[in-house]
Amino acid sequence: MAKARFRKTIIAVHRDVGYFFAGLTVLYAISGVAVNHVEDWNPNYTVTHTERSVGNLSAVEDSLLGAEVLRRMGIEETPKAAVRMSEKEFRVFLEDRTLHVAMPSGHVVDELVSRRSGFFHVNYLHLNHAKGLWTWFADIYAIGLLALALTGIFIITGKKGLGGRGRWLLIAGTAIPLVFLLLKT
Amino acid sequence: MKRNLMLVTIVVLLAAGSALAGDSTRYGEGVTLEKAVSIERLLASPSDYLGQKVRVDGIITGVCKKRGCWMQVTDEKGNGVRIKVEDGVIVFPATSMGHTASAQGVFEGVPVAAQAKKHEGENNDVDKHEACDSKPQGEMIYFIKGTGAVIEL
Repeated sequence: MAKARFRKTIIAVHRDVGYFFAGLTVLYAISGVAVNHVEDWNPNYTVTHTERSVGNLSAVEDSLLGAEVLRRMGIEETPKAAVRMSEKEFRVFLEDRTLHVAMPSGHVVDELVSRRSGFFHVNYLHLNHAKGLWTWFADIYAIGLLALALTGIFIITGKKGLGGRGRWLLIAGTAIPLVFLLLKT
Repeated sequence: MKRNLMLVTIVVLLAAGSALAGDSTRYGEGVTLEKAVSIERLLASPSDYLGQKVRVDGIITGVCKKRGCWMQVTDEKGNGVRIKVEDGVIVFPATSMGHTASAQGVFEGVPVAAQAKKHEGENNDVDKHEACDSKPQGEMIYFIKGTGAVIEL
């Protein structure tokens, strides 16, 4: 009787927690793969560079350089800032865009930074850049995953459960990270 | 039905609250030091500040676009110092380029040779190297091991 009640409870917990966190688990899985390969690609942003020349700028005063570069490029946006980085470089900062201007040649590298749609947002949550309240929710999610794992172990009984195939799969799944750690650390 | 609706409302409110909390322009411990050291002075007499916690103010002229693990803060004269933070602990957004920022942390220096040794055996991917190293000042590479920042967005 107690056993039946226990199984009923763990099935209910597994079902409800599973439904509740299914969406977030999918998002975190996508982000997990994306950030695992950060050495090979940028999972958050796409950065594009285009080059052009605005002509020689040696006659332009430093204080007017930003406006002059924008005028020659036909850009009407007001820059966030314009900084003389060195004798040979001037930078103009626009919204999500930076113009790297070589001085005095006027050769411009136009760098455009855009959020990688979808990935930026899921990584933002997965890597907890949001901090604050999200930290709490992510902690609740972790507890939820723990509940899913523990209840999952006991849901199936019989040959395919913990008494049979389930036991071996559980041992194998636990052994893989342990063996890896043993070999690598 | 009512109970389900209440559950969904709680979840949505929680998510909205989290989103608002994430809009902060404060990173890490923020900025607690009242007075900033001019970057020009910092780079002119680095030995006076080595190991000390300093604050610098300026414009963000560079950001690590892959991990957000550093940003370059530059003054109006073009003197810049890199704020290097621990990966994942503080993440500077790549879109903060050109914004005004204050940042603080411990001013540190490493010999160029030591840094080069650290990179021995790595491939020559410019992007990866750029993500770690400040521009050398003579024989040394100076940077601020950042503990906090405030970016005006």
